[in-house]
Formats: sequence, C-alpha cells, structure tokens
Amino acid sequence: MSNATSIRASKSNSILADLMSSKGQAVLLMLPPAFLLFTLFVALPLFDAAYYSLFKWNGYGTPTDFVWLGNFRQVLDHGIFWQSVRNTLIVLAVSLFIQLPLALGLALMVYEKTPANTLFRLVFFLPYILAEIASGLIWSFVFDGNAGVASALFKSLGMDPVFILADRHWAFLAITLVVVWKYFGFHMMIFVAALQSVPKELLEAARLEGAKRWEVVRFVQVPLIWAAIGVSAFFAVVGSLQLFDVVIPLTNGGPSNSTHTIVTYLYTFGLTRTRIGFGSAVGVLLFIAAVGVSIFYQRQTNKRSK
Amino acid sequence: MANVELSNINKTFGAIETIPDLTLSVPDGSFTVLVGPSGCGKSTLLRMVAGLETPSRGRISIGGRDVTREEPSKRGISMVFQSYALFPHMTVEQNIDFGLRLSKTPLEERQKRVDAAAEILHLKPLLKRKPAALSGGQRQRVAIGRSIVRNPDVFLFDEPLSNLDAALRNQMRVELADLHERLKSTMIYVTHDQVEAMTLADQIVVMNAGRIEQVGAPMELYNRPQTLFVAGFIGSPRMNLISGEAAAKHGAKTIGVRPEHIELGEHGPWKGRLRVAEHLGNETIAYIDSELGELIVRINGDHKMKPGEVLQFQFLQEHLHRFDESGRRIHREQTLVTGSATKLLHP
Repeated sequence: MSNATSIRASKSNSILADLMSSKGQAVLLMLPPAFLLFTLFVALPLFDAAYYSLFKWNGYGTPTDFVWLGNFRQVLDHGIFWQSVRNTLIVLAVSLFIQLPLALGLALMVYEKTPANTLFRLVFFLPYILAEIASGLIWSFVFDGNAGVASALFKSLGMDPVFILADRHWAFLAITLVVVWKYFGFHMMIFVAALQSVPKELLEAARLEGAKRWEVVRFVQVPLIWAAIGVSAFFAVVGSLQLFDVVIPLTNGGPSNSTHTIVTYLYTFGLTRTRIGFGSAVGVLLFIAAVGVSIFYQRQTNKRSK
Repeated sequence: MANVELSNINKTFGAIETIPDLTLSVPDGSFTVLVGPSGCGKSTLLRMVAGLETPSRGRISIGGRDVTREEPSKRGISMVFQSYALFPHMTVEQNIDFGLRLSKTPLEERQKRVDAAAEILHLKPLLKRKPAALSGGQRQRVAIGRSIVRNPDVFLFDEPLSNLDAALRNQMRVELADLHERLKSTMIYVTHDQVEAMTLADQIVVMNAGRIEQVGAPMELYNRPQTLFVAGFIGSPRMNLISGEAAAKHGAKTIGVRPEHIELGEHGPWKGRLRVAEHLGNETIAYIDSELGELIVRINGDHKMKPGEVLQFQFLQEHLHRFDESGRRIHREQTLVTGSATKLLHP
C-alpha cells in the first residue's frame, strides 16, 4: 500500500470513529430534522425567489419568460424604489439614534426592582404586545384630521385641521413616530434585563470612587451591557429592513407612494400587481442587505469578544 | 488618617430593625475588626460608614467631621468588597486609576500613584491585564490597589478574603497586616472568621443581632470574654461551655473552658470516651463524649489515642470562665474544681 493510500485510509477511519463516538451519534440524530426544516422553509424559498427573480412572471403557470437581470434593472431604475430605500434608512437611523437611546434612558430609570418600576415597565411594554395592524389602525385614528386626537390638538391651538397621514412631508414622520412608540418597549426590556445583571457592587464601587450618576452610566453600566446594546441594535436594523405592517394601515405607502419601505414596495409593486419575478428581485436585494448587516454584526461581536 | 465615631446608630429596613442602638469608637490608625455571625449587622454597619446605607437614626463622624448624610466619595474612605468589585471591562491599570481619573487628578500624578500602588502590591507585570485573566489573590490586590491610590483617611474591608482558598487567605492576611503597618491608616475590617479577627486586629468588635457584645484587644477577648456569646465565638476550636451540676459547683449557670485548658490524666475527676482525634501534626484535637457533654480538648504532640478509648481529664482551674443566668461573666476569684489532684498523662 502506498503512503498516500494509507493516509487516506487512516483519515476515513478517524472520520468513521468520530461518527461512532457519542458526540458523533448526537450529531447524526439531531442534525437531520433541523437540516430538513431549514432546507424546506428557508433555503428552498430563497433559491426559488432567486430563480423567479430572473423571469418576467405573474405567478401563474411555469415561468418561461427568462429576462436575466431585467427585473433587477427595473427595480434599480425605479424612483419609488429609491424613495423606499431612503425611507427604510430613515427608519433605521431613527431606530438606532432615537429609539435605542430613549429605550436605554427609560431602562435606566425603571430597571431597579420596585413595584412602581414593574408597573412602568409593563406600561412601556404594552405597545409591543399590541398587534402591528391594530397599532397602525389606532394611530390612524389618532392622526385623523377630522376626528382624531391630532385634530383636537390643532383645534385647541386655533389652527385648521391638518391631515398628517395625507401630507407628503409629514406622513413618514408620523410613521417613524409610531415605529418608535411600538418598539421602544421591546428594546427597553432587553436593556432592563442586562442592567439587572450588572452586579450592584460595581455601581457602589464606582460611587465610592466619586463617579456621578451619569459617569456610572457611561463608564460602568453602558460598557457592561454593550453586548445587549449590540443585540438590540441588530434587532432594530433587521426590524427596520422588514418594516411593513405598521405602514399598511397608516398610509398604505401613500400619499403618492412617498411612505413606502422596501417591504411595502415589494408588496405593492410585486405582489398586488402580480409581478412575482419583479417582487422576487426586490426580495433578493433585501436579502442581500440583511445578510450584509448580519455579517457586519457578527464581525463586530467577534471583534469585541476577542 | 482619622478616627471614626458612631453615635447611637439605628438602622431599620422596613419593619426589620437590623441595628437597634449602637455606639462605637474606632481610634485613629487602628485596625478594627467587626466580627460576628452572618446577619449580625456588621456589613450594614460598614456600609453605613461607607455611605452606601444611611442610618435611620444616629450620627457618624470621621476625623471629627459629621458625615452622616455625606456622599460616599466625600467621606475620605475607600472600600474593598468581598467580590472585589473590579470593573471587568477595564485593565488592572484602568481599575486602579478609575477614581483618580474621575477626580481629574493630573496625568503625571495619576501615573505616579498607580505605579506606587502597583509596586507595593506586586502588580506591575499585571497592569495591562483584565480582571478575568487574574487569580483570586491578584484580583484582591487590585481591589486594594484601587483603594490605596486615593490616599483615604479610612480603609473599609468587607470580608475581603472570604472568596480565597485557605493558603491564599493566610498569605493575604499577612499582606494586609504589612499594609497596615506601612500605611498606618485607620482600617475597619468586617469578617465572620474569628481567626482573621484575632490575627489582624488591634481592636475587635464582636457583634450579635445588631448589638455590640464586647470591644477589646484580641487577647483580652480571648482571655476574658464578657459574655457567653463572645466566649463561644472567639477561639478555634471553640470554648467548651458546660452547664448543670458541674457549673453549679462553681457558683455559675455555665462554665467555660478552652480546649487547651483541659488536661488528660489518669487521676482526672471526669471521664469520657474519645469519639474522634484530629492529628494536626503539632497538636491533636480530641472530641470526647463525656459525662459533662461533648468536649473538645487540645493536646500538644502526637498522641496514640484510638476512638472509643476511655479518658480521664481535669480542668485547669485558673482558666475557668464563669457565666451567670443572663450569660454575663462572673467577676470574682474562681473556686477549685472538686476532685483529686491528677498526674498528667504523657504521650
């Protein structure tokens, strides 16, 4: 037997030995169900979408009209798509730079375990429990220029009624307000859990060293909950990229398509107009963006843990 | 350096009164150890001195200055916690420098002080490491370093050695004694370990249920415990406490005798059966089931005793401690133990 052959044989023996070990047996037992589910519900739809994105197809019958990257070209040439990207980026920026600091500030106020704080935490968390569609509807009544709270407010100020959701300049701002209201409680709860896990002695030690309240936050609490802030930011970014069901009941992408996010754009111009190939192309672009964010997040997390 | 005065301190948490009414004086430059069982209020007392808890009543002064309502950082104290309380995201150097940085001390001065502390505590090679990469003893030294650099008037230690193993605890005990000798600062040290209290303290404060049982020098507490509680708490192995007829013969409700003050001898008036003998090399600790109850006896050297063996013993009369019904020491000349004179057993 030649050297190469014997090395190959010993290698395959060791792989077999690994598989027969208890750890190997566990892998053989546990992996197939997960692998099957992942393939059926994640990988296959993804490949399907990527495949359909290369066809001009209305969703009926077999796609035959192969257009290569024509759908992608159409998407990238469409002004409303770029408007929806801009809107998505605005939601993302508001989530990161307004929603998260607000959630952290509130978490710092209510993280200690007292009955009053428990009540406040519950109240702040309630919007998150509410269904997105319901939240959208509630706020559409609030913003109603004829009968809503906003209308009453403007009237009390002696102003003419303003239809916020019908105004190109104000409608998306209203949506971002609802997004912040809806999700800040979720991020606050992540921060509350992280803050409660910071040992009390560290805060006391900082106080003894002369740290003022904000210095304790800056030098001790925030660095120690940085991992939770990272997770929260990741959810905020992914949530912004997927924003859909708050927008539909509020504006349905209007007025004049000015309040679309990427997903409402996909829904409106892909699904409702039965342009499945076009919609798939938008989906693929969105998927690439989400993967990019995930890789960036993972790298940052790895860098910090080193 | 400064003295610490606690006057009529009371502390309640809701309906629970942890410290009813306590007055204590900690002399300038002393090493005072607060000792007592878990839940006796010693840590609460220390935290009140630190400013981490506010007394419900009473007054705390440091160096003659009333600091009862003062912020912790303005009291001229520093504290070493049981858990070390090092900031895990900072290096050793940043941990030690933290307070100086906050107080906006000039950089040059900060570096000088951190270097000096690192030198004293042998931390120089560890300055760039994070706490996770240090052993328990090294972490403890960093915590001490953090308190040294601020030149406090009073050092507070809250059970600082209880997370260390026995060998390291002994070593750190010596290092703390050295540090006190070098700095001559006032130190208040909380522990439930009476060995730490005996070896480190100039002054021991024995606490029980929020009250002070006795204050004094270690050997004073050992030789003349004023209450049954102190008699049972100070000393290892603990003092033998005997009630009943044997105590009544001495005009007391309870008599106490330390394990080293019981002598084995074939003519001893009391008999007992050896249950366990712990051979520690330089001494043997014998646990005897006797007609007076379970007794602990300390014997020098290497005794060839076997469990089940019947032993006779006597108490050294001049070392008997007598206590009344309320558990207080009876102050008068001790009476003789009834029974014949004995000849000592030799190993």
